[in-house]
This record gives sequence, C-alpha cells and structure tokens, in this order.
Amino acid sequence: MTKENVQGAGEDEQQAQSKKALKKQQKEAEKAAKKAEKQAKLAAEQQEADEDDFAKDRYGISPMVQSQQKLDRALVRVQDLTPEKAEQQIWVRARIHTSRAKGKQCFLVLRHQQFTVQALLAVGDRASKQMVKFAANLTKESIIDVEAVVKKVEQKIESCSQQDVELHVERIFVISQSEARLPLQLEDAVRPEGEGDEEGRATVNQDTRLDNRVIDLRTTTSQAIFRLQSGVCQLFRDTLINKGFVEIQTPKIISAASEGGANVFTVSYFKTSAYLAQSPQLYKQMCICADFDKVFCVGPVFRAEDSNTHRHLTEFVGLDIEMAFNYHYHEVIDSITDTMVQIFKGLRDRFQTEIQTVNKQYPSEPFKFLEPTLRLEYKEAVAMLKAAGVEMGDEEDLSTPNEKLLGRLVKEKYDTDFYVLDKYPLAVRPFYTMPDPNNTKYSNSYDMFMRGEEILSGAQRVHDAQLLTERAMHHGIDLEKIKAYIDSFRYGAPPHAGGGIGLERVTMLYLGLHNVRQTSMFPRDPKRLTP
Amino acid sequence: MALRELNSLERFLGLKKPNKYSTQGGKKVPVLQNNNGPALIGLVTIASHLVHEAQRPELLGDSAEQRAVVQQWLEHRVTRLDNSSKEEVKVILKDLNQYLEDKVYLAGNDFTLADILMYYGIHHIVVELAVQEKERYLNITRWFDHIQHYPGVRHHLPPVVVLRNRVYPSGHH
Repeated sequence: MTKENVQGAGEDEQQAQSKKALKKQQKEAEKAAKKAEKQAKLAAEQQEADEDDFAKDRYGISPMVQSQQKLDRALVRVQDLTPEKAEQQIWVRARIHTSRAKGKQCFLVLRHQQFTVQALLAVGDRASKQMVKFAANLTKESIIDVEAVVKKVEQKIESCSQQDVELHVERIFVISQSEARLPLQLEDAVRPEGEGDEEGRATVNQDTRLDNRVIDLRTTTSQAIFRLQSGVCQLFRDTLINKGFVEIQTPKIISAASEGGANVFTVSYFKTSAYLAQSPQLYKQMCICADFDKVFCVGPVFRAEDSNTHRHLTEFVGLDIEMAFNYHYHEVIDSITDTMVQIFKGLRDRFQTEIQTVNKQYPSEPFKFLEPTLRLEYKEAVAMLKAAGVEMGDEEDLSTPNEKLLGRLVKEKYDTDFYVLDKYPLAVRPFYTMPDPNNTKYSNSYDMFMRGEEILSGAQRVHDAQLLTERAMHHGIDLEKIKAYIDSFRYGAPPHAGGGIGLERVTMLYLGLHNVRQTSMFPRDPKRLTP
Repeated sequence: MALRELNSLERFLGLKKPNKYSTQGGKKVPVLQNNNGPALIGLVTIASHLVHEAQRPELLGDSAEQRAVVQQWLEHRVTRLDNSSKEEVKVILKDLNQYLEDKVYLAGNDFTLADILMYYGIHHIVVELAVQEKERYLNITRWFDHIQHYPGVRHHLPPVVVLRNRVYPSGHH
C-alpha cells in the first residue's frame, strides 16, 4: 500500500514533469522561431537597405592609411572656412567634436585644433537614410574626411569658432575611429570653475586631466596655452639673437651640484654616480670665460625638491642667460628686463586670440608692465612690507606669502605686474654671487617677479678665482668637486652676470593661471612620472 | 585680559582713582568690590557702572533704541565673540563686516561703550589678519582703525597697521 502510493506519487510526478518539459520545449521552439524570423527580417531589411542605399559609396570606414596612394586632394583647414569659400566644394579633415541626429538630419561639429565648424547631413539626393544614420553613430573624437559644400548661414552659429558658414556634407569617411567611451569629456574640461554648478554639470579635476593628458591637450584652452608657450620660446630666442647672443647646449648629466647638494637627482653613472643639472649655471659661465660674451640656453633643468605646490615641478624648461658686461651688472639687468618686455609685447600683439581663449576658462586681468622695467632694492621692499604691517628682519629671505603681498603692494603703487628686486642679502644667495662692494651684507643679485611670483633668479657672478674659492669655502663646498669650474676663472675671466627663467612659470603667470602643471605639457612632480 | 581692559577703560573715562579688581571662576570673570553695596560681577556690568561713575551716560546710548543696540553689542561681545572657535570667528567677522557697511560706529553715528569693548575684544583677532583678509573685511578694518585712533581708547593694545588703499583687485584672490 505504501509502495503503491509511492509509485503512484512517482508517476504523477513524472507526468507533471513531462508536462512541464513539454511546455518548456514548446516555448523554446517558439522563441527560436521568433528569433529566426527576426533575423530573417533583419537580414532582409539589411539586404534591402544595401540594395536601396544609393549613397553607399559616399560614406564608410576608410582602410587604414598606410600610404598606399598619393591622393591629389587638398584638405582645407577648419580655421580657413570663411564666407569667401562659400559655395565651394572642398575636403576637410577634422575630429567629430559632437554629433546630434534629428530625424532625417544629422548635425556635426567638426574640430581641428581650437577651431570648430558646423556640418550638416540631410537625407536627400546626395545622402541616403543609411548614410545619415552612419554619421549619427560615429563616435566622438573620431577623425574623418568630409567632402562638403561651404554655405553661408543667415544666423551666426554661436557655438562654433567659424560662425558665418556651415558645411553641407556630401561624403564622409572615417580615417581613425575613436573608442566610444572617453575618459573625460572635452566640454567638461573647458568649463570655467563654478559655471554649470547650478545645472549640476561637471568640471574635470586636475589629476584626471593629467592622467588623460592627450585628450586634455585637445581642449581649446590647452591648445591656446601651449601655442602661447611656444611663442614665449620663440620671442626669447629672437630677441636674444637680435641682441647678439649665441645659443649654447650644455650637458644635463653633471658631476657636481651647482646650487647646493640638497635638491639634486642622483643617477648611477657606470661605476660612479652623477647628478642631473639643476641649471646650466656653471657651463654658461665657462662659456663666458671662453669668450662667447653673450650666451643663452633653452633646456630641461631638474630639481629634486619634494615640494608639492602649485608652482614647483621636478623637471621644467629653463631659459638661461649669461652675459659679460663692461662696468656694472645693471647692464645685464637692463638687457634681461628688455628681453622680458619684448616677450610680453610680442605675446600681447601676436597671441591675443590665445590669451582670450584661456581667459574664457580662467579669467584674469591683462598683464601689465612698465618701460623701462621697475627696479626696487631689497631694502625698499622690506620697508614696504613693514609699512603694511609685516614683521620681518632686514636680511631675512622673502617668504612666499610676503613675495605675493609685495607683488600686490607694487602693483598698487606702480601699476606693474613685472618688476626687479635688486640687492638681495648675501647670506640667502649661492656661493658664486658677487658681494655688494658698498655693504658686505648685501649682494649684486636680483630676482624678477611676475604677478608677485618669482620667475627669475640672477646675479653678478664672482669672476675672480681667489674670491670664488673663499666664498665656496664659506659655504662649506667641497673644492675638489668644483675644481674645473674654479680653474676656468684663472686665465682671465670677464665680469659677467645672468639669470635663469622657468618657461612654465612665465606662461602660467603671464596668463594668470594658478597651477604650473597647466603650463607643462607632461608635468613631472614628486608624485607624477606618467604620462 | 579683562582686567587690563577695565583699567584702560577707567583711564579713558578719566576716573582718577583706579579700582581694584579680582576674578572668579575658571573663565576669570572680573569682580569689583563696591564700597557702597554688593560686589559687581562681569565685564559689561562693571563697565556700565564705570560709565555712570564718570557721568558719561551718553556712552550707553542717548535714546531708548540706541541703548538697546549698545546692550545688544555688549552682550554679543561677552557671549559670542569671547567664546568663539576658529570657525565661528569667520562668521562673526563676516556678519560684523556687513553690519558696519553703512555705519561709522556700532550704534550708528555716535561713539558708545559698545565700540570700546568690541574693539578691545576683537583686537587679538584683527592683529592676526593678513593684509588680504583685512581687505576682505574692509568695513571692520575701517571701523577698527577709527576706534584705535579715537582719543584715549587704545592704551594697552599695540596699534594694528591698516592700509588706506586696496591692493587686491575685487573678485580675484
């Protein structure tokens, strides 16, 4: 009885199971049928589409450019798309900045460097439905070639740099496809701080920018910053060459630290060790002793300071000057300040577009300077600070906050963002600094400031081997290690002075930016070694 | 602290004979043992008494409204300013700066005891401010400079340097 019962139950169960299985099978079969139907339909549609697509030769993904052919095709730059080109049929290579599909139309914003233009694709006799769909699905930042007719527009296109024309696209080919997901959005990266806060829009923080520097460098702001920085270098070179300077190249692997040993990088050098140059100091001086008279040098300099501030990098580009003078080191100050003024003027006159572009994201007041440049003595500066309530000793070095405050005081009094501070206390300067003949507590040294921050440090150097040895000993420097340097002054050395400028700082302060990493293309600091 | 303040106040009021004060409690509340009655306790109470003593009642306010305003600031001084944390100081400065925007003195157009005691109480804060902050709290700085130069007020306190012209452009820091 019990057994039967169990059996009965078992049968029931089996029956139930088979019923379930049957149902399941049926369902699956239905599903498969539906799927097949759908696929067939899709394939048919696709086929139909392919057959229907009269424009299929007008768009697509180009084979990888491996220099297979020399196409005789002129590519017009986006910045040259002006009303003069209206009604012309042209080719353009650009990135897809944004794309927006709207029914039978697709609007693209094409970008090349900091210039953008609107492009329009509409279903018609030139473009098929499929072509518009293809364009709408292109990923942002992809590089494309388009053939288009330039058309004047009635209403200015506010969102683009080329506001008076748009492109009516006839052909569109992808040259390089971007991955769909970007690590940061370019629009977010150029948004001024604070703006868009209400709409909850994002700005990109600096580390994310720097981690994805290649994309960040594409923003209009970055493009403008580094074009202007290139301008600083060029103006620096042009001005000095005109003044009869010679450009020199100096080694960066050196045997002894030039400015105290604390902040140098040590590198292993075969069986011994060497240092990375903190400045081309010793070499440019040796060139002076070798009768080059006026030299300058543009190159990397290294500082192993473990300071994570807005204005320190461990590697930056130094613009160094050294020149022999006749009787007074102010001849050199005048020459350097004039060079700086030429740079400021050149930037103002030739890079207004770039300055405006940066100002859109980072507003600042225009950079002001005087001609001739204002020169203050250290004592006067200390007096100004004391009058403003700062307590400091006469021969104390300037702290960063005091430097900045002094900058403000000078700006208020003299209306200049650029000035020279002369006659620093001897004790706070390196061993090769020439003491002031009138007061041994001071020295013939100077700093130059932009917007209250130091950009150049310089001095008359000791060109007498005897005095140089004394000063080195006073600073506790191992004479053996700088023997070659001291010896170069033994065989007749002209009086000379010079200084070194940080390229990134000049760019930062000229534009009124707040972090030196913004003006270093691939910044190096104690915490960043990549990209 | 409060005792030196009371001494300076006595001299400002021209009281010939200096009083002897003691303090009470952990917060060193000043106490004045009065010959003709019970002891007076607390800075504001003693200060008001001294003002009466010197027959300068106008320092407590001329009208009923002004008297109320003076009392309010005296209370503000001992309850909020004297017990403020670093964070609260910023709020106090911001509010005071806004209040002083259209006033020469705390009670409007007349110098009162409120100005004296607020000046004494806020001095240690203002003396620590950087040039930029002094400019940010421009109205406080103006009022403070005015009070520290008011004849006979400053006494035991060092003068604070105040720039007469703005050196920081507005909007930029």
